[in-house]
Amino acid sequence: MKGRWLGRRRRRKVLLLAALIIPLALSACGGSSGSGGASGGGSSGSPAAGNAGGSGDGAGSVLRVRFYDDPAGFDPANVFRIENENIAFNIFSGLTTYDSETGAIIPDLAESWETPDNKVWTFRLRKGVQWQKGYGEFTARDVLYSYNRILDPATASPYATEFANVESIEAPDDYTVVIRLKEPDGNFPHVVANYHQGQIVKKEVVEKYGDQFKWNPVGTGPYELESIDPNSQITLKRHEGYFRGPAPIERIVFSIIKDEATAMIALQNGEVDLVMRSSRQENLDRLEAEGFRMNHVNNYAVSLRVFNLEHPILKEKKVRQAWAHAVDFEAISAAVSPKLQTPWHSMLMDWMDVYTDDVPKYEYNPEKAKQLLAEAGYPNGFTILQLNTSATGVTDQMQLEQEYLRAVGINMEFELVDTPTYNNRRNAGEFEVAGRLLPAVNPDMILFSYLHPDNKSPGGLNGARYDNPEVTAKLGAARAETDPQKRLALYHEVQRIVMDELPYLPTFASNVYWPSKPNVEGVVINKLAQVNFFGVRFVD
Amino acid sequence: MAAYTLRKFAQMIVTLFGVVTLVFFAIRLIPGDAAAAMAGDNLSGEAMEAFRAKHGLNDPMLVQFVRYLGKLLQLDLGTTITTSLPVAGLLLKALPVTLTIAVCTVVLTMLIAIPLGTLAAYMANKGKKTLDNLLTWSAMVVDLMPSFWTALLLMLLFSLTLGIFPASGQVSFGDPALLMKRLAMPIIVLSLTQVATLARITRTSVLEVLNEDYVRTARSLGMPELAVVFRHALRNALLPIVTVVGLSFGNLLNGTVIVEFIFSIPGIGTLLVNGINSRDYELVQNLILFYAMVFIVINFLTDLVYKKFDPRVRL
Repeated sequence: MKGRWLGRRRRRKVLLLAALIIPLALSACGGSSGSGGASGGGSSGSPAAGNAGGSGDGAGSVLRVRFYDDPAGFDPANVFRIENENIAFNIFSGLTTYDSETGAIIPDLAESWETPDNKVWTFRLRKGVQWQKGYGEFTARDVLYSYNRILDPATASPYATEFANVESIEAPDDYTVVIRLKEPDGNFPHVVANYHQGQIVKKEVVEKYGDQFKWNPVGTGPYELESIDPNSQITLKRHEGYFRGPAPIERIVFSIIKDEATAMIALQNGEVDLVMRSSRQENLDRLEAEGFRMNHVNNYAVSLRVFNLEHPILKEKKVRQAWAHAVDFEAISAAVSPKLQTPWHSMLMDWMDVYTDDVPKYEYNPEKAKQLLAEAGYPNGFTILQLNTSATGVTDQMQLEQEYLRAVGINMEFELVDTPTYNNRRNAGEFEVAGRLLPAVNPDMILFSYLHPDNKSPGGLNGARYDNPEVTAKLGAARAETDPQKRLALYHEVQRIVMDELPYLPTFASNVYWPSKPNVEGVVINKLAQVNFFGVRFVD
Repeated sequence: MAAYTLRKFAQMIVTLFGVVTLVFFAIRLIPGDAAAAMAGDNLSGEAMEAFRAKHGLNDPMLVQFVRYLGKLLQLDLGTTITTSLPVAGLLLKALPVTLTIAVCTVVLTMLIAIPLGTLAAYMANKGKKTLDNLLTWSAMVVDLMPSFWTALLLMLLFSLTLGIFPASGQVSFGDPALLMKRLAMPIIVLSLTQVATLARITRTSVLEVLNEDYVRTARSLGMPELAVVFRHALRNALLPIVTVVGLSFGNLLNGTVIVEFIFSIPGIGTLLVNGINSRDYELVQNLILFYAMVFIVINFLTDLVYKKFDPRVRL
């Protein structure tokens, strides 16, 4: 007993010793880490704290933005993933572009355009537009070069198919471009917008840099690439000769922060001013409570459940309708992530001009679901396999959907594979049920990709392998139709038919958040989930 | 010694060839390729075929393998498929960052763990189990704390509350003070996970020799107890410690992916994971080749250090 008492005294000594050793060792290796003030400055969680290079207007202002993955280059011919596309969007311009708020097509490098028959399109170009980095004035020759480069098989551009309908491109003079199509397409101005294949590049720059062009892009947009370290940061500088005038902010520094929690701390700590995409409900709630600006876009794209119609059970329309009635998507979104998704009932978004609300809808009704299953010949339900990527894993939403389906007798199992495998199998159509989200502004592109038999998997995005001659005919007719009312009517009919047949089941419309400090204004996220930094500025 | 080095070198070539072959075919066995990884949500099959043709991904595997070996013989590591960046350049850029973290972590770990473990052995030997128990328990607790969690706790404390270390930002060698501030948290996190293990091993190993004859002799000569423990016992107990340190150094060079991810450190682990996720064959096979070389060199150095500490070891 006595020994134990002594032992306690000694224990204290030992602890003291340890307490001495540890900080010593830390400082030995940490070097100067203990000394000096913090670079981020902000020691409090208040959003106004620590703004090293931030506030102020005009010259010298720097916007620091969180970038969430490694950049993969910005050549419009093969740019991929939305964060890279967002950079390209600010460097380049198209003949047309999208209104950030409404998604409507507006002029960009082309001041106006006209067509008599949706087949021959004449674009009149803006005069005096300057290339970045002193590459001179933009002319119709640049448009010709850019589009032909996309179409050249040697470029191997994944977006070449977007121009498949183009028969010829001509430039009668420096400020006019005439494009002839094989089949009429009333939505053609979407194809030449500031996105992928529509972005105009400069021949001299492409030829100078070859396959390194993706790291040395030169465009006519509001910001030019100043420097890049592919593993840690990208710096954009404003294009002083931009045709709409120089942007309010001089420099944008994108800092690669992959982890969501780190990004949040970096914003709270004043290390960044703006977070590109924050996708965790709990983080958003917290930032909002702390007074950060919650820039967001609602309903930018819809997630679809893709049913393989070659599957013996899923080919029954009533089975698919039963699925729709069985799941309470409203309750799921309210429970899991009310900020990030809204239950949705259409393949198109409500801000698209051809959208209609007048389609068959499937309210939550498990009894009706069971009845439909019985009518389809599956009164005891069935087992089905849903293909998913391990990148997201089995989400809360998926688990809840599984529970709802189980209640009506559908036993949904998950097959998780990693992302490349998932993309491979999804594109090849090797699944029973899968999911897809296709961000697009052009409603016609969405409908054609999903519903036209030419786009059946493998080879296209029609993973359901949907082939309804009536829908196919109406899609073709809608493209050719020059009368706006008749065109709308055709698109409305297509939406009604597919929402009745349900080859794809709309689940949720996604919302995208870019939280920022309160002094960052004008962060408008467009319908492709991109931000045009020309409109972003600091306020006091 | 020269013969030994030569033999090791020959072994290295064979091992490396084995690794190269294995990795080359293994990564191609995983379903999906760079084209599929890039495809994302909205690329058609046609577009993917064009991409594959451009990068020679459709050629027979043997042709690709021979092409790769040929490039290796010319010491050409090639360029990545998805980003067209030179692999050697990426590696050279990531290596100093990872190396700095690994060296600092190992030094910090040793500075804490070896004295701590030796002290514990000394206490245990005297029948005072207190520090010993404390070590066992903290080893268990710290070992079970996932590094991503420790990392976030540190970030909350050091970045948000105290404002000492930044949670993000560029890792640049231009400003050493800023660099260390940026790397301090990852180094602490990584050390924490290693200190416990290394201290335990030090304790066991020192305890074993504390009852040896020469230790008793040293004591009987009237040396102070701490001098006996640290100078005589510890020195003879170093072999297993060196092994563990060597291995953990190798692991630090390769596998700090999670910590790199959380602290946005552009190190080698991140490079490899990105490579695998994007099925960038060029990047992955050359990085693994580099890893294999690191382990071979570390084993070689460990052997040399063995010999230094224990002249009885034959090489």
